[in-house]
Amino acid sequence: MTARRRDPRAERTARIVQTEPRRRLVLDPDAIAASSGGRPRRDPRARRADATLQTAPRLRLDWTGKGTGAAVSMSAPGRGQRAAPAAPPLRVIENPACLIFAALDRPDGALSAHDRQLLAAARLLADAVDGAVVAVAPDGADDWGALGADRVIPLPAAWAAEYAPERRAAALVAAIARWSPLHVLFPESPEGGDLARRVAAACGERLFAGVESLSASRVARRAGGGATELSCAPSRFLSIAADAVAPLGAVRHEARRLDPPETSPDAPKLREARRLPVDPDGVGLGEADFILSAGNGVTDWVVFADLGRALGATRAGSRVVCDAGHLPRDRQVGASGTVVSARCYLAFGIAGAPQHLQGVGGVERVVAVNTDLHAAMIKRADLAIIADAQAVMPALLRLAGEGGHG
Amino acid sequence: MVDVAILVSVGRHPASGQARRAPSDARALELAFGLPPGRRDALHAGDPTNPALRDYLGMGLERLTVLAMAEGRDPTDALAARLRGLSPGIILTGNQAEGGEDSGMLPYVVAQALGLAIVPDVVAIALDAEGRTAEVVQALARGQRRALRVELPFVATVHPAAPAARPSAFGPARRGRIEVVPVDAPPDAFLTACAARPWRDRPKRLSVGAAGGGTGGALERLRAATEAKAGQGRVLVEPSPDEAARAIWDYLQEQGMQPR
Ligand SMILES: Cc1cc2nc3c(=O)[nH]c(=O)nc-3n(C[C@H](O)[C@H](O)[C@H](O)COP(=O)(O)OP(=O)(O)OC[C@H]3O[C@@H](n4cnc5c(N)ncnc54)[C@H](O)[C@@H]3O)c2cc1C
Repeated sequence: MTARRRDPRAERTARIVQTEPRRRLVLDPDAIAASSGGRPRRDPRARRADATLQTAPRLRLDWTGKGTGAAVSMSAPGRGQRAAPAAPPLRVIENPACLIFAALDRPDGALSAHDRQLLAAARLLADAVDGAVVAVAPDGADDWGALGADRVIPLPAAWAAEYAPERRAAALVAAIARWSPLHVLFPESPEGGDLARRVAAACGERLFAGVESLSASRVARRAGGGATELSCAPSRFLSIAADAVAPLGAVRHEARRLDPPETSPDAPKLREARRLPVDPDGVGLGEADFILSAGNGVTDWVVFADLGRALGATRAGSRVVCDAGHLPRDRQVGASGTVVSARCYLAFGIAGAPQHLQGVGGVERVVAVNTDLHAAMIKRADLAIIADAQAVMPALLRLAGEGGHG
Repeated sequence: MVDVAILVSVGRHPASGQARRAPSDARALELAFGLPPGRRDALHAGDPTNPALRDYLGMGLERLTVLAMAEGRDPTDALAARLRGLSPGIILTGNQAEGGEDSGMLPYVVAQALGLAIVPDVVAIALDAEGRTAEVVQALARGQRRALRVELPFVATVHPAAPAARPSAFGPARRGRIEVVPVDAPPDAFLTACAARPWRDRPKRLSVGAAGGGTGGALERLRAATEAKAGQGRVLVEPSPDEAARAIWDYLQEQGMQPR
C-alpha cells in the first residue's frame, strides 16, 4: 500500500485554471485527483521489513534494495512483489562471420569454473568479429545456451570420465578441418593443456599457452621462467590460464547442435588407464580432497589414525593439536598453517577459532562433531553433531570397516 | 636394455635469475638413470658454452650433446632429426621449460614429427620383461595418480612431483664432455612476432561480486570478505554414537567421499 503523501502546494497549483486577471481555482476535487503529484509517502516500517534479510541468529538488513523477492512478500504482505530478474533475451547469431572453438574440459562430467571462464574468453573474441562461439565438449545435461555457446559440437559423453586424450584430439582435429575456426581456445589445466598441445602439434601450428590477459586485439602470457611477458595479437590456438577472464553474467544463446565429425577409430596408444590408490597422508594438505581433522576435543589418537586410514582421508589438526605434538606441523590447518581447499572436511572436537576458520574458507562441505552446541565450527558446518568425539569415532570406524552395512 | 634420450634445457632461478639446470628436466634425467641399462643420450639445443649445462653432467652423465644454435631459433626440426637418427626407446623431458618460451609444446612437436605416442606428467616408468611396453604412472591434480600402459617407443614429459633429482657433483661436472654439433636452425617467426617486456603482476581478479559473476556488487564483496561462510546447518543434538556415525557416513556417501 503506497499511501501518497499529500502535497497541498502542488494540489493548489493543479487547481489553478486562470491566473490573469485574477487567480481562479477549480473546486471539484475529482478533477485533480489524478494529478496529485509529490513523492510517495515514506513508510519506514515497511521499508525496514523489506530490507530484512534474516532475523535469526541476528538481524541483517540490506538497504541496497536488492533483497530477495520471497522475503519481501512474507514480511510485508500487500506490497508489490519485486519482479524476478528478467531472463536475458535470446541472442541468435544466424550467419556468423567466423567460428571460435572452445574445447571444454568437463572434468568428471561437470563443467568447471575454468570452463565457464573459457566460454567467456571465447565470447569476447567472438563479439569482436561477429563470430559464433562453438563449445566442443563431451555431451552432458548442461544448459549450453545459458553458458554463452551459440553452437555445440557434442563428443561422446563417456569421454568425460575416461582418459582418452588421443581420441579427443583426433575429434578436435577433424572438427577444425571441417569448420576451420578462427581461434581454438583450451583451458590451461592438466588435461586441457595436454589436449591443446596435442591438437596444435597435429595441426602443425603453435600454441600461445597459458594466456593471463586477453582482449580482442592482444593476448599476453608469462614466459622466461615467469620473468617476461610475451604479448601478440591473438593467435589461432590459445590456452587460457585459470582466473584470467571473468565468467559471463546472464546471457542466453542459441546452443544449436552441430553434428560431430566422423573420426577414424585408430587404436589408442595409451591403454589400460586406471586410477591408482594413493596414501592419503602422503598428499599435501593444500591439495587434499577429503580431510579428517582433530582439535583439542580429541584424546584417542589411535582411533583417530585408524579412522583416517579407514575413510581414506588425509589427517590434519588445529594448532593446539600440532603444538602438543599429536600431529606434525605440516598438518596444521589455519591462518598460520595451511589453507585447505578440500571438498569435504570432517572435524572432531574443533572449536572453530577465526584463525582456524580462515584455513577452511575454501572447503565445500564441513561436518563437525563437538560437545558444545555453540562452537563456531558448528555454525560453519553443513552437518553438525553434538556428541562426544571419543564415542563417535569408534562407531564411525566400525561402520567404515563394515562398508556401511551396520 | 632400453635406449633413452633426455632433452634438457637451461632453467632460470626464480629469485636470482641465475641460469641453472631446469628442475623438471633434471627429474627427467633422474628418471632415466633409474631405468634398465642402455644408452643414455642427453640433448640440448642452444648455447654450448652455458655453464648451467655442466649441472647435468654433474649428475653422472658422461656426455651431453649440444645442437649449437643462436638464441631465437626454432630447435624442433633439428632435435627431431637428431632423435630420428638415435631412435631411442624412450624420450624423456621436463613438462615445462623455465626461461625460454615455456609453452610446453616441444615434446608434442617432437612426438608428432617422429609419429610417437606422448604421455604427459609422468612420475614413474616401469618396463616389462621384454622391454616392449612400459607401465607409466602419471601425476594428476590433488595428489592423485593414474597408471597406463604404452608401447615403446614413446615420449614422456616428467611432472615436478617425480622423485627429486640427485644433486650435481663438481668432479663429474668437470670431467663430463660437451659435444657440440653446429646445426642450421630457422629463426622462430612465431616468437619474433611477440613483444616481450618484463612481467608485472596484475591485481587478482575477484570472483565475488565481479561484473559478470554475482548480483550484489560491493555489498557481496564486503560480505565475502568479512563473514565466515555459514553451512547448511543440519544439527543433530545428542544422538547415540551409532546414530551419529550413521548420519556422518550417509552424508559422506551423499557427497561422493565414500563408496556406496
Ligand atoms: C596468531 C595466531 C595464529 C593462529 N593460527 C592458527 C591456525 O593456523 N590454526 C589453528 O587451528 N589455530 C590457530 N590459532 C589458534 C586458535 O586461536 C585456537 O586456539 C585453536 O584453533 C583452537 O583449537 P581447538 O579448536 O582444537 O581447541 P579448543 O579451542 O580447545 O576447542 C576444543 C573444542 O573441542 C570441543 N570438545 C571438547 N571435548 C570434546 C569431546 N570429548 N568431544 C567433542 N568435542 C569436544 C570443545 O567443546 C571445543 O569446542 C592461532 C592463534 C593465534 C593467536
